[in-house]
Amino acid sequence: MSCGEHNFREKLTEICREFNNDPNELISILHKAQGEFGFLPQKVQETIANIIKIPSSRIYGVVTFYSYFTMEPKGKYPISICTGTACYVKGAEKVLEAFEEKLNIKNGQTTSDGKFSMSSLRCVGACGLAPVVMVGDKIYGSVNADQVEKILSEYD
Amino acid sequence: MKNKQIKIALKNCGKIDPERIKDYIAVDGYKALGSCLSEKMPGDVIDIIKSSGLRGRGGGGFPTGKKWEIASKFDADQKYVICNADEGDPGAFMDRSILEGDPHSVIEAMTICGYATGATEGYVYIRAEYPLAIKRLLIAIGQAKEVGLLGKNILNSGFDFEIGLKYGAGAFVCGEETALIASMEGKRGNPVNKPPYPVECGYKGKPSNVNNVETFANIPKIINKGASWFSSIGTEGSKGTKVFALAGKVKNVGLVEVPMGTTLRELIFDIGGGIVNGKKFKAAQTGGPSGGCLTEKHLDTRIDYESLKACGSMMGSGGMIVMDEDDCMVAIAEFYLGFTVEESCGKCVPCREGNYVLHEILKKITHGEGTLEDLDKLKNISEVVKATSLCGLGQTSPNPVLSTLSNFYDEYYDHVVNKKCAAKKCRSLLTYSIIEENCIGCLQCKRVCPADAISGELKEKHVIDPEACIKCGACVSKCKFNAIVVE
Amino acid sequence: MKKIESIDKLNALRTYLENEKAVSESKNVIVKVAMSTCSIATGSEQVMEYFQEQMKLEAIGSKIIKTGCMGLCHSEPTVEITVPGKEPVIFGKVDQKRVEIIIKDYIKLGKEVDGVIN
Ligand SMILES: Cc1cc2nc3c(=O)[nH]c(=O)nc-3n(C[C@H](O)[C@H](O)[C@H](O)COP(=O)(O)O)c2cc1C
Ligand code: SF4
Ligand code: SF4
Ligand code: FES
Repeated sequence: MSCGEHNFREKLTEICREFNNDPNELISILHKAQGEFGFLPQKVQETIANIIKIPSSRIYGVVTFYSYFTMEPKGKYPISICTGTACYVKGAEKVLEAFEEKLNIKNGQTTSDGKFSMSSLRCVGACGLAPVVMVGDKIYGSVNADQVEKILSEYD
Repeated sequence: MKNKQIKIALKNCGKIDPERIKDYIAVDGYKALGSCLSEKMPGDVIDIIKSSGLRGRGGGGFPTGKKWEIASKFDADQKYVICNADEGDPGAFMDRSILEGDPHSVIEAMTICGYATGATEGYVYIRAEYPLAIKRLLIAIGQAKEVGLLGKNILNSGFDFEIGLKYGAGAFVCGEETALIASMEGKRGNPVNKPPYPVECGYKGKPSNVNNVETFANIPKIINKGASWFSSIGTEGSKGTKVFALAGKVKNVGLVEVPMGTTLRELIFDIGGGIVNGKKFKAAQTGGPSGGCLTEKHLDTRIDYESLKACGSMMGSGGMIVMDEDDCMVAIAEFYLGFTVEESCGKCVPCREGNYVLHEILKKITHGEGTLEDLDKLKNISEVVKATSLCGLGQTSPNPVLSTLSNFYDEYYDHVVNKKCAAKKCRSLLTYSIIEENCIGCLQCKRVCPADAISGELKEKHVIDPEACIKCGACVSKCKFNAIVVE
Repeated sequence: MKKIESIDKLNALRTYLENEKAVSESKNVIVKVAMSTCSIATGSEQVMEYFQEQMKLEAIGSKIIKTGCMGLCHSEPTVEITVPGKEPVIFGKVDQKRVEIIIKDYIKLGKEVDGVIN
């Protein structure tokens, strides 16, 4: 979080107000907050709890339940490898291993320079192009292990 | 071969600009809503949907008209219409396509549903993984509001209807309607016991009619063309069409919409063009992680809700993953159970623990440590999990195990007794070796081996040390002389 | 767009739009470019831009619109072309080169070209 302590509370107050400080809207609030800060560390959760007046344990419960929310910062270029069924039968595992090998990290980790992080997700709905890999918002289709290096080189 | 298809739910997808409401209106868009509001009482609308025979396309296949009727009967100060766009089954993407290609049809249908059931508010619960569908849906809602096809006093009929969006956050169980409602209320997506069903006590405790995207997409066409037109398509118990997402090892991967009762053979071989690379068809999984596999002997089964159930699978949302001879059915079962273990909400013991144990046993088998006794255990635990889990997730999650066990028992047997995986997928069961006659000693394999398992000098025969080999397969693809065999 | 105030107005608008569409289709080559998540991933945005550019260059009366998915994931990017008086034809795996061939050979000369999906 680059912005100062003060700004950060202000931003969250603004987000919560947009949803009328309504606890029913917690998931929308968290989506917005994660969009803003990239991840949802304890401090963000506590501040939201404080603003919309619910226990922070409830927020923690929600954040940990949904795989879309993360408490760890992602890399500058987050890589998501689809391990949905269509991608699995088309060899997603090999692609995943190739990324692990090339980046020298395990799935779920971030490279030490903070540039790339890796995660797997279940189906982005582009199953026709399986195996599918996303880097940020960009979708790569029909990826095979040999293309991994080339994909990574686009982000040098 | 496209002529086997009949497009109803997908009628406008690929035909109109989804971001222009005028394009939709020009192809009879909002005509059905207009006719409902001006000429039909809510009861008439329900009667049309009932006699059309339309059943839910989200998985369960509950008769849609009947659901609407139940929702309409409850007396409440507020009711809701909810569109389930969570599309959790990996491999299914028809809901995304409909929302990206024809969002107005869903908006129109939800409004009609609101009119029929007495609801004035609707929500689309949509996966956050679908940014483009979200964008197009928001544009469409904005346009419909602007021209007065949504909002207060629609077309001067006195009927009000609003639609908002709620976002999913990557939890498969939230496709289950009670979990979906919990999630809409900003909570963890834990399912609750039914009854009461959402139609009685749903979002914010009010009657809520939940339908799937594809179910809704059929509605305007049924109103426009009539119930008897719709019910003339399909089979005895399953009317109309179904959209299938063909994926996996089939040539023409894509979305197809066929009349109910089309056979698997027509779907995979005629429309799908058969299996890629001239391989042999092995199985097709329908119903996703809740379903089962259909095999060669099912190729001529006419696909509808009942026949799929009879084959030990289910319709589900229409994902169809085609597998060929290179796919190991034990590994597939392990894959599905891995999915379930991750996605179980953890609320009830049989699903949380039972699926975990099933997954562990399957892992054992694919790693060559399974026994015949394990196969019985798989069966027994599966039955218990199915019978005692709280929600649809646990009640169906062992299906992939049971169906592969019954259709491919030989393969399981091969894994546990002969310690062989014929599809060569289960690494632990493979051995890599070099055929002496073919090896010319080019060093290629030795160079790529990450485990330094290959020894041999230039122009000498190479040998793989089975102890050191980590079975990565790198050497095989490098050898130009077919000297490396995998067994 | 203004508010549609009654059923009659909606019906009138539909008739008007249907007409407008028919007139446009009788005069213009209609180019529909599938623009869904998977199409975009395979480059349909660039294909659409290139069509716009080339059709202008060749001075062919045309309407180029983006649509949802045609369901033909195996052949993305897909484009449907309707030349006035002819049946729509869908082309698959369209790239810049194929755009040029489609325009020069199919649209202008009416020749059969590769890449048609049927
Ligand atoms: C574990 C589980 C996941 C489900 N996922 C979905 C889904 O992604 N989309 C959907 O429409 N229905 C899903 N359903 C079915 C819904 O609970 C519900 O039956 C359906 O949305 C009702 O709509 P319909 O009658 O139009 O099919 C799921 C059910 C279960 C048990
Ligand atoms: S069956 Fe599984 S997903 Fe459903 S309530 Fe029980 S633990 Fe949760
Ligand atoms: S399979 Fe992998 S580890 Fe085994 S010998 Fe070949 S390259 Fe080496
Ligand atoms: S399974 Fe990978 S995109 Fe659907």
